[in-house]
Amino acid sequence: MTTTDTDTTAETPLAPRVTEEELARQARRKELTSRWFWRILSYVAVLAVWEFALLDIFGFLRGTPLDPKLLPGPSEVVATFFEIWGEGTMPAAFQATLTRIAIGFGLSFLIGAMIGILMQSKWFEGFFKDAVLISLSAPGLIWVLITAIIFGNRPLGPTIAIILTTFALVTVNVSEGIRALPKDLIDMAKSFQVSVFKRNRQIVIPHLAPYLFTGLRFGFSIAWKVTVLTEVFSSSEGIGFEMRISAVLFDMSEFLTWILAFFFFALFLEKVVLEAIERRYFRWRQAVTAT
Amino acid sequence: MAEIRIKNLHKEFGVGADKVVALEDVNLEITGHSFVSIVGPSGCGKSTLLNILTGIETPTNGTVEITSDGHVAAPGYVFQAARLLPWRTVTDNLMFVQDDRSDDTKERCQRYLEMVQLGDKGDKFPGELSGGMQQRVGIARAFSIEPDVLFMDEPFSHLDAITARALRRELHHMWDETKKMVVFVTHDVGEAVELSNRILVFAKGGRLEDDIQIDLPFPRDPADDEVAVAKAHVLRKFEELDLLAS
Repeated sequence: MTTTDTDTTAETPLAPRVTEEELARQARRKELTSRWFWRILSYVAVLAVWEFALLDIFGFLRGTPLDPKLLPGPSEVVATFFEIWGEGTMPAAFQATLTRIAIGFGLSFLIGAMIGILMQSKWFEGFFKDAVLISLSAPGLIWVLITAIIFGNRPLGPTIAIILTTFALVTVNVSEGIRALPKDLIDMAKSFQVSVFKRNRQIVIPHLAPYLFTGLRFGFSIAWKVTVLTEVFSSSEGIGFEMRISAVLFDMSEFLTWILAFFFFALFLEKVVLEAIERRYFRWRQAVTAT
Repeated sequence: MAEIRIKNLHKEFGVGADKVVALEDVNLEITGHSFVSIVGPSGCGKSTLLNILTGIETPTNGTVEITSDGHVAAPGYVFQAARLLPWRTVTDNLMFVQDDRSDDTKERCQRYLEMVQLGDKGDKFPGELSGGMQQRVGIARAFSIEPDVLFMDEPFSHLDAITARALRRELHHMWDETKKMVVFVTHDVGEAVELSNRILVFAKGGRLEDDIQIDLPFPRDPADDEVAVAKAHVLRKFEELDLLAS
């Protein structure tokens, strides 16, 4: 052992050379670490203020002290989280909400894509243009209230509210994607006598995929909020319903727990599920940006 | 052996006062292992001729026959831009234009990638390659279907001079090795003289003005006296025809 050690030092009397690549990697790691440090610090700061000072701050702003029951600290909320988790209501509530989103947004995606395809014709563009614009700009709350009034707690209410708030996002993206179809690639494939089926599968669909994905991503984030909102107003199950119950009972600890669960789940979908899909299907884009 | 036979070819665009004659009474025969360049100023109908040869446009009058040993010839194409699918790897881009996915076909694609010096780049995406490399993939793709005739539309005009020169050498080498017929459209007379054994000069209005044979040995160095003389000869033709507008 010792002999080999001395051998290597004899061969390389100078300190081992650090390659440029290694330096770049170190710099990247350092940057990443510091970015994460600040990110985590923001969570710690917010939680610390909430736990130890927020009650007094609000009390001071109100002029009268605030009842601690109305603003439980993070430690209490986390405790309640595990309590509710143990009772088993949380998976059931999530299941109810996610089923609604899946049905509503699934339909919305199909309808939105279909309208996007139809809008390639001048007449259909004229027909749908303003409807799309209204859907994009109107606040989701409008549709939530209207469907709640008309359908009460029937499952059709949330479905329709989701469709009305999200189809336009899919339409706009699909329509834009079709307009930007790579004619030069399609012509190339035609001159090489590539079949229509293969052209669609290897040119049209991969070209449209990022557009569809953008529609999916934004549409889903809105569908998610609208669904919870419909549950607050007119439902007897789901996350929104649980939030309403705890708010009505002034059980702030439970209310905040549901918000926390909602937040974590949204974060999970965004960071884990959607980003995994993106990494899997859009590898060629990362390859391009890496060079 | 591939043959192209063009008889009384005439092509017009528009009607009445807007009528434009793109090709006027072109008669032409190209046979065998030839490298034919079509040169001429913009608007001389060279792109139109290529579009008719490749079937994108139909002639107003006249006939075009492209055959190989009696049957319809299989064409291959190289475009001005590489036109690769950005979401497919280099190998998959070659496989895209094949009829089957057999091991033989894969092997053939790899062989042509090696011919354009990209044997180790099969797994890369086009976006990871330089412009010259992308055009090489385009050339390998055209050769990989083993066509009877190769049509090329100014394939090197977007590349820098050094890359273009390297690719011209490779192309010549591949033409020599595969014994294919190449029909090459260019506006660069030097390029045409370096590569071709026959140059067709088109004039404005779509007339075939001259049909020049160049019998110099390959490879041709542009600095070589004989090559320079041949280039000067073609350029003089251009001047005589008052084609050097720019």
